[in-house]
Amino acid sequence: MELLLAGLNHKSGVPALARDNLAAVGAAEFLRRLREAGWEEAVVLSTCNRLEVYAVIEDAGQAKASLDALSRALESAAGSPLAGHLYLRSGFDAGRHLFAVASGLDSLVTGENEILGQVKTAYETAFTTGTTGKLTNIIFQRAIFVGRKARTDTGISAGQLSVASVAAALAERIFGSLTESSVLILGAGQMAEIAARHLLSAKPAKLQIANRTHERGVALAETLHAEAVRWEDFPSLLETADIVLASTGAPEPVLTRAMVEAALPARMGRSLFLIDIAMPRDIEDSVGDLDHVYLYTLKDLEGIVNENMSQRRKEIAAVEKLVDAKAREFAGWMAATRAGEQASLRHHPGRSLRRGEVGKQEERS
Amino acid sequence: MMESVLFQIAAALYVAGTALGFVFLYNRDERLSRWMFNLLAAGVVVHLASLGMRMKHFWEIPENRWYLPINSFFGALSAMTLAITATFVVVEGRHRLGIMGAFVLPWACAAAVGAVFRTHSVGSTEIHGLAPALQSYWMNIHPMVIMIAYAIFGNAFGVGLALLIQERQLKSKRPQELCYRLPSIEELDNLNYRLIAAGFPVLTVGIIMGGIWAHEAWGRFWGWDAKETWSLITALVYAVFLHQRLVAGWRGRKAVYTSMLGFACVVFTFIGVNFLSRLHGYLSAP
Repeated sequence: MELLLAGLNHKSGVPALARDNLAAVGAAEFLRRLREAGWEEAVVLSTCNRLEVYAVIEDAGQAKASLDALSRALESAAGSPLAGHLYLRSGFDAGRHLFAVASGLDSLVTGENEILGQVKTAYETAFTTGTTGKLTNIIFQRAIFVGRKARTDTGISAGQLSVASVAAALAERIFGSLTESSVLILGAGQMAEIAARHLLSAKPAKLQIANRTHERGVALAETLHAEAVRWEDFPSLLETADIVLASTGAPEPVLTRAMVEAALPARMGRSLFLIDIAMPRDIEDSVGDLDHVYLYTLKDLEGIVNENMSQRRKEIAAVEKLVDAKAREFAGWMAATRAGEQASLRHHPGRSLRRGEVGKQEERS
Repeated sequence: MMESVLFQIAAALYVAGTALGFVFLYNRDERLSRWMFNLLAAGVVVHLASLGMRMKHFWEIPENRWYLPINSFFGALSAMTLAITATFVVVEGRHRLGIMGAFVLPWACAAAVGAVFRTHSVGSTEIHGLAPALQSYWMNIHPMVIMIAYAIFGNAFGVGLALLIQERQLKSKRPQELCYRLPSIEELDNLNYRLIAAGFPVLTVGIIMGGIWAHEAWGRFWGWDAKETWSLITALVYAVFLHQRLVAGWRGRKAVYTSMLGFACVVFTFIGVNFLSRLHGYLSAP
């Protein structure tokens, strides 16, 4: 048994048209075509940044010829020659690549989480199409396990990479779950909308929008299923709001220290998170000095985004080590299986079925 | 002999668990937290075994029969360790707050290590007969109730410490990794409040029980003995905390400082007062 891989990703430099053609085929259809061409065991991982075919052959000696066949299958789906663009791997290298992909090492945004779900979907699609087998079953489950482990044991996926998601993450550091928090948005522009959507994904109890031009506030509130409030009312809402996000086009700060000071006694010490993503600033800087008030500006949030990116890059080596170790472990299991197969074929032709258990034991380690 | 060896093993397990708690602050591997709880639980088991042997020796003195061996400094420190650790395993363990280990457990370790040193300095585990006034069923109730209150306050102190750090992290606008590991400001604030709200009535009941016992043993409810005075001060500080939080909305830093002052009073009442009080002194015990 040998695992083969033929694939391309965002670094492969494949012409857009060929990529679109490949994407249009879809994993399920591609698997069907492979099966028609005589491939019994294969999984296709298809995302907007990559298309990878993992296939299994019985005779490792045929690896090169089989990889050529796989590239031809990809070329015919792409409608153009792909020579020089594809990466072709077999055995240990193919398995290691899958583990690295699942861990987010090969992604455009290092450590992103989506790829792990996509690996899972790819496996499930192959499973329902009936093209999975012993090796693909084990190595894909293993890859999902490694991808998860990389994310829990290292900081490869730690830290948000956009201003809005950093703001949402900080809000959770202050309030825990946001399900009991109320959010007030000042402004109804594009930035306000993006940030509001991010905060909404944390399911806050209430989201209110105040805009100087009330009609625009109402319009945004409608698309977000939020509540529009009058601009004049927003200072009094500071008594009840937990998170205030300001993103207006005002030339002067609209949220002053005096307003917050007036609202503080009624807040009974509950924290107030102020996010100012407006340029020029919407919230007076000295507001951040008040007790229980946490003020973050666009510059602060961007600083955290940059910090998070460099932190992720620092984790790459640790994840590479994990991926290497797990790939070697898997190669060891493969070698043992092969040796066992030959031995049992020689001595006990009937006893070759219990090997799946090895994979399960490894899962726990 | 075996008893003190077992106690030392328990203390070592607590210290090792606490060390894992500190590593867990900076390493997100969940196994660290799990092993911390495992080591603590093992420590509690060994500790109970040691306590069992201690009781056997203690009860060999006829007048001590059926009373808890808590009338010595070692006995009190040992009980304190057990109470803080058990409270931690129950409260933080249930809320999956292994991250709080680094903040709460050092107090249990300090008590455990203090107890180990105490056995070394006095050369034994301090077993002596109970003074007649202490030969009462209250001996098994009053000190334990007070210990439980102290242990709850010890946990609250650790939570308050974490709250101060979290607040500073978020105010700095450059939160470190630690900020994302710690519970949120509001969660820590609520936990601190709920622990103190639970500990305060326990302490109050404990003090009242002490008064009743004092009446039975010494013929007066209250005599302004140093321990009595300081326990009253402790209770008052925590009463201020609860009152200000509920009425004036004291939260965050201000609230934590008050609760920390309360814990300082606890530590003084527990240890410092031994040098002032004849009636409540573990050190002045015969």
